[in-house]
Amino acid sequence: MDEPLTLSQSDKRPMYLQIMEQIKQRIAVGDWKEGQPIPSIRQLAADTAVSVITVKRAYLELEREGIIVTQPGRGSHVSTSPGLGIRLREQELQQHLENAMRVAAQLGIRPKEIERRLREAGDRVAERESV
Amino acid sequence: MTDSVIPQLIRKDLRLHRLQMAITIGAGILALVVMQRGGEVSLVLGSTWYFVAIIVLACMLPVSMVVNERKKQTLAFVMSLPVSSTQYTTAKLVSTLLMFLVPWLLLLVCALALTTTGNTIPQGAIPMVVIMALLPLIGFSVILAVAIVSESEGWAIAATVVCNSTYGIAWYLITKTPSLTVNWTRHVAIWDQTVLRLLFAEFGSVALMISLTFFLQSRKRDFI
Amino acid sequence: MNDLAIELTGICKRYRYFSLDKISLQLPQGEIMGLIGANGAGKSTTIRILMGLIHQDAGEARVLGHPMPAEQVAAKRDIGFASEDMRLYDSMTLGWHMSFIQSIYPNWDDSYAQVLLKRFGLRADQKIKSLSHGQRVKSTLLLVLARKPKLLVLDEPTTGLDPVARHEILRELAHVMQDDGRSILFSSHNTQDVEQISDRITFIDRGRIIDSMDKEMYLDRWRRLRLEVPPGLHLPALPGVIDVRQQGRLAVATANAFVPDLANAYETRGARVQCIENMTLEEIFVANVEHSREEVEA
Repeated sequence: MDEPLTLSQSDKRPMYLQIMEQIKQRIAVGDWKEGQPIPSIRQLAADTAVSVITVKRAYLELEREGIIVTQPGRGSHVSTSPGLGIRLREQELQQHLENAMRVAAQLGIRPKEIERRLREAGDRVAERESV
Repeated sequence: MTDSVIPQLIRKDLRLHRLQMAITIGAGILALVVMQRGGEVSLVLGSTWYFVAIIVLACMLPVSMVVNERKKQTLAFVMSLPVSSTQYTTAKLVSTLLMFLVPWLLLLVCALALTTTGNTIPQGAIPMVVIMALLPLIGFSVILAVAIVSESEGWAIAATVVCNSTYGIAWYLITKTPSLTVNWTRHVAIWDQTVLRLLFAEFGSVALMISLTFFLQSRKRDFI
Repeated sequence: MNDLAIELTGICKRYRYFSLDKISLQLPQGEIMGLIGANGAGKSTTIRILMGLIHQDAGEARVLGHPMPAEQVAAKRDIGFASEDMRLYDSMTLGWHMSFIQSIYPNWDDSYAQVLLKRFGLRADQKIKSLSHGQRVKSTLLLVLARKPKLLVLDEPTTGLDPVARHEILRELAHVMQDDGRSILFSSHNTQDVEQISDRITFIDRGRIIDSMDKEMYLDRWRRLRLEVPPGLHLPALPGVIDVRQQGRLAVATANAFVPDLANAYETRGARVQCIENMTLEEIFVANVEHSREEVEA
């Protein structure tokens, strides 16, 4: 696997978080399936030109969140808990909704107005999909 | 020193400077050919030329092989190899000496061959030729020692100037010493006490310079 | 099995205008350490001491288990050293240098050397004097990488290189780390590179080691807090904070031992925390050096 992840040096977030997010995204869209083996820590570090210790930290956190499983001597793989991909997409949606609410609050838009706008957005998306 | 890198370092030095060696040998042989032509002018011209070639080599070699290694910053490259500072000094001494001795010996042998086969120089002059030819070798060992220990082009050049000035005086003294010149014109070479003692002193000086180099180098704490 | 690739203990070296003062650092096998410091801080001297090229006045240096400079020959068989002021022989070709190195080191991997030639855009039949600065640096690194040494010691390997060349070098260094038996120590001004590929970071300034630790832990300890302060209140530097700059109602506190409680501590004093920012290694470097120099002068 050459260059599985693309890390941005201008991204203000710590690198281990970027790695975690990109791994979660791959699982969420289905590129990495449940139970699929993933590159070893050293392999990923070498391929992305990132320090081993950063990848190690990302893997530890991912394991803590139940997204990957690491077996000593056998490498790491995507967790086999059913519906992991879906769960991650739902987490993403949750994140988007919370971000939207935060911006709305800053603009002073009330929840009732948000509901209306949400329905409008849904209609627009449905329209575009049907074309 | 079974695994030592010294042979490769010597080979590397010889490879890097083979052009210099070739030029000196060429110039020296040319000088001897000129001497062969006969007549006093050719003799003087040829022998001067001959000595100049050797002396130039004695000055150039230490600078190009030792001082330049530091100036051109290739010393760090060499010292990154599995070699200690003593081994480096050994390799440098051996390779530079070899590069001087090969042309020097070659030319000496040619000169000696000339005296035995040709009619221009009597055989009785052989000990003198050897004694005189050893002078640049001593000068060379002095310049080399200074170049290695001082790591400075300035000091090496100073040593060069000192040695070059002394050759003339030394030659004058030798030619004016009756005990040495007495057998000059004979048909056979005579190796008497005076000659042998002088030769011993000359070789001894070279050995002294080499030992001094090793000693002073080993005391350095900041090699690079 | 965590052998130390490099172990320096209490290294001291005196020069007329500069001295190294009790330098101690450890690099476990299988890790990369980035050495950061201003010009003249002592990076090159420290590196030369651990390579056995300079004899320390006091203290012990052990590299790959060998005491230095006593066993430098044995150690250097397994070390690949490249420094920024190192030059190759101008009149010879890169190919000649490759054969030369190959004749000395049995570990030379020629197929890998060919791969590197291509990757770095170099040709073996080129004379060194015809190469650009970047090509020379890459040539020196190629000679060192193709031997696959157990320890790489690199003094400013990417200084003066264009971004593409830097990226190429970093990728090769990262690939070295696939083998957990190999280690790298490199010094650099480029804090971005150090931040990205180092497992450990060591800061050196004016002959002293200011910090040496695990990179992730280190980055976690530094934060910049932006605070809004009620008029008239002067913010103190709480424990864990090394610098507070206040102008009117806005203040910035730089913390080198951040804990979440710190934000609360300021809030209880009446300030409002606007945001808590991570700091880049470069920002940490500057703040750290300024702080340590103030401490020394105090």
